[in-house]
Amino acid sequence: MTLGGWITMLLSVGFVTGLLAWCVWLVIRKRPEPGD
Amino acid sequence: MDASHAKKPERWGTRIGVILAVTGGAVGLGNFLRFPGLAAKYEGGAFMIPYFTALLVLGFPLAWAEWALGRYGGSRGFNSGPGIFRTIWRTRTSAYFGTLVLIVPVLVYMYYVFIEAWCLGYAWYTAFGALDLGPEKGAYVDFFAEFTGSGGNGSLFSAAGAPTLAFLALCFAANLGLIYRGLSKGIEWFCRWAMPALVICALVVLVRVLTLGTPDPVRPELSLDAGLGFMWNPSTQHVGFLESLANPQMWMEAAGQIFFSVAIGFGIIITYASYLKPRDDIALSGLTSVAGNEFCEVALGGMITIPAAFVFLGREEVLRSAGSTFDLGFKTLPMIFHAMPLGRLVGTLFFFLLFLAAITSTVAMLQPAIALFEEGLGMNRRQSVTLLGLLTLVGVGFVVFFSGDMAALNTIDFWVGTFAIYVLATFQAILFGWVLGVGRGMEELRRGAEIRVPRFLGFVLKYVSPTYLLGIFGLWIHQQATEKDNAFREIATNGAVRGAAVFIVGMGLLLLGLVHLSVRRWERREQQAKEIAP
Repeated sequence: MTLGGWITMLLSVGFVTGLLAWCVWLVIRKRPEPGD
Repeated sequence: MDASHAKKPERWGTRIGVILAVTGGAVGLGNFLRFPGLAAKYEGGAFMIPYFTALLVLGFPLAWAEWALGRYGGSRGFNSGPGIFRTIWRTRTSAYFGTLVLIVPVLVYMYYVFIEAWCLGYAWYTAFGALDLGPEKGAYVDFFAEFTGSGGNGSLFSAAGAPTLAFLALCFAANLGLIYRGLSKGIEWFCRWAMPALVICALVVLVRVLTLGTPDPVRPELSLDAGLGFMWNPSTQHVGFLESLANPQMWMEAAGQIFFSVAIGFGIIITYASYLKPRDDIALSGLTSVAGNEFCEVALGGMITIPAAFVFLGREEVLRSAGSTFDLGFKTLPMIFHAMPLGRLVGTLFFFLLFLAAITSTVAMLQPAIALFEEGLGMNRRQSVTLLGLLTLVGVGFVVFFSGDMAALNTIDFWVGTFAIYVLATFQAILFGWVLGVGRGMEELRRGAEIRVPRFLGFVLKYVSPTYLLGIFGLWIHQQATEKDNAFREIATNGAVRGAAVFIVGMGLLLLGLVHLSVRRWERREQQAKEIAP
């Protein structure tokens, strides 16, 4: 795999994984409010 | 205009549940087979540029718009597409246009549940060794033809087709059973364990693929490193990076992939979002479900399928099978699992995760019709599930009978699973940007939002997304018109395709009739409400 391939893979996989991790963190951070 | 329901409206049980259900509705075979196949077809990483562009311009904005349209209709008492559209655009025509929210998922269900049965069957046969058919691809091609009935019409309605029909009956019953249990106790409960199970299966398969090394020392060029390079290198010795980017076909296919992968225009997101409470967050939930889908597609699907196939078969053979989802998934990959150490376990897990991806999608495809039958025709759950079960049984029977060369499946996939989805998504984009209006639409999206929705999203949704969609749609129509064996010509020349087209029209008219009955019922009720009101 070329350097360009490594960069493409790390950016692509890193972006979607990081985005999901950030979203999950935001979702679970919020405690349920009364009435939720 | 608000619908008055005698019973308590159905709601999601938990926020995680709705996110997993929407993600499950979006994640399907396309994430693990179509996406890597497309990336390989365009020889690697250059494909990711148009792919992520389409994700930003189409994927995120249109998914958010669909969430907003759904919750807007749901907070006014409607869960069905026709009801939601009629609430936003107060004309009769809009409700009839909402028939597409039924046609798309119900007709796609009719062939997707068949494919779901293949996945379950392949998981079973891999686990018990029946798919250890040796190193020649011909044996897997023959197995596929016999198991799916692609050898000839009606071939599955014989003793040889009994196992396929048994797996199909199991999948069909499971879907109806989950729908019958309801939104929270059925769909949500199932997705809460099925989606994590899917990811765990995929991670186990991924670890196996990433530890393959160079299985055949005699052919050192077939290594995992070379396989990953084949999938991710932005340029190859055959095609340069800029040369790849100049290919309009690649941009079109990347947009199409985002479109189908995120499940925009399927009628799933809009229906699911309508069961949220008026102040529930949709911005973060929508973003999370798209992110979950993209994780499954890029980080799991992109790392598993093509590198594994390359390591055992090499570039030429992978390119030959990458253009067809069925070829790659059901003829090539079983051969790879046969050759792979621990292949039986890995193959079983892979086909089981495909089954989970499929069933979390098919169960979502049934809810839009259930919503109309209940709120439009006044049916209870038992009646609505029975009616939908009978309708889809006829459709699935049709697809299974006309299995020769997959004529019925391919025709419905083209006209409904591709064409109608573009039409519905474009209509929804216009509905959000121009009928509901960007101001009200963004206000709806921001209500209860736990993240800041970017202001430029309104501009993107009003101008960029519809233009991009219409552009892609125009290119696609042009491509069809210039192809010698295009879909229109096939209807004229192929009897089975013509039969499938007639079936689609017939089913569409039937659903349109049910929408008409619902509209008249809503109008009568509104008239009565006006007369009672002082």
